[in-house]
Amino acid sequence: MKGAERIEIDRRYCKGCLLCQYVCKFDVFEPGQERSALDYRMPTPTRLENCRICGLCESHCPDMALTVIAKTQGKEGE
Amino acid sequence: MNPLGEKYLRKPFLPFLFCPGCGDGMIVQAFLQAVDDLGIRDDLAMTAGIGCSAWIAVYIHADVLKVLHGRAIPAAIGLKATRPSRKVVVFTGDGDCLAIGGNHLLHAARRNIDMTVVMVNNQIYAMTGGQVAPSTGVGSRTQTTPYGNLEKPLDGCKIAVAAGATMVSRWSTAHIKQLGRTFKKALNHKGFSFIEVLSQCPVQTGRYILGSGSPQFNLQWLKESCVAVKDPSQWGEIEAQGKIPVGDLLQIEKPEFIEEVQKMNRKVKEAQAQGGDR
Repeated sequence: MKGAERIEIDRRYCKGCLLCQYVCKFDVFEPGQERSALDYRMPTPTRLENCRICGLCESHCPDMALTVIAKTQGKEGE
Repeated sequence: MNPLGEKYLRKPFLPFLFCPGCGDGMIVQAFLQAVDDLGIRDDLAMTAGIGCSAWIAVYIHADVLKVLHGRAIPAAIGLKATRPSRKVVVFTGDGDCLAIGGNHLLHAARRNIDMTVVMVNNQIYAMTGGQVAPSTGVGSRTQTTPYGNLEKPLDGCKIAVAAGATMVSRWSTAHIKQLGRTFKKALNHKGFSFIEVLSQCPVQTGRYILGSGSPQFNLQWLKESCVAVKDPSQWGEIEAQGKIPVGDLLQIEKPEFIEEVQKMNRKVKEAQAQGGDR
């Protein structure tokens, strides 16, 4: 179950505080170049294969913009 | 957006007006997680005063009353008295709760009214531009104390204990999981619950008191200065070391005020029905 399928960062709400990068123990995030709707530089989850889906980034996102979507290995419907 | 946000937030009000890296958004999420786990959205009624942290309540799609500065607790008492089945939660800041609303905190705690007061402590009046607050530490440089603060800070948790609150906890935004668990406990607790949440304010506390406006630095500072303790008797020891003790300080059972009022009402009505005047 290693690795998240994807990490969605909502570009409408992200304020580029990079707390997700700070709390991540597995170095998944990097400061990116893309700008959010509020004109802040958004982080990018470049190393998704490192993700353990601990949910720290999700629970520490002050703008509730981040969602971690786990891999669903073979399970259908979820 | 986070699934919890999709379910519980007022979309037209988004994005949050909090500054980048503010702890208030994290508290919204921890609180929503607790509400979601308990499934109490329909019973939830929140009040909020004035301040950054008072906006927490406004974003949650449930009953909200936004009232005058410092008067969030009296409004909450009204909500509780008119329909005791409500789960009443007060979101208040350190200035709102300890300075202008200090008296209300004392008396609501004294009466042990069933409500949850969440006091978000960022150690400064952040929204108004960074003036000294009752919770600002000694020596802190703020806009109104440019040579350092001489006043001793007020400890909300100890005041709540002394005034007679029946559940008192302190956590920080660096302990977000524990905070979520405490929210759940407080919502289930019958009586006055007081939760102090130390929150980072990179823009005011960070820049002027701690020396860096980076959210990461501010969260790191909270992580380093807070010591989680299980035994409340160790709080004094931790404070003597210059650190901030966090954890559950108190949880006891006492008669709840609104229930007592209802009991008395019934008693008086029965007595009157039997012909007596009391």
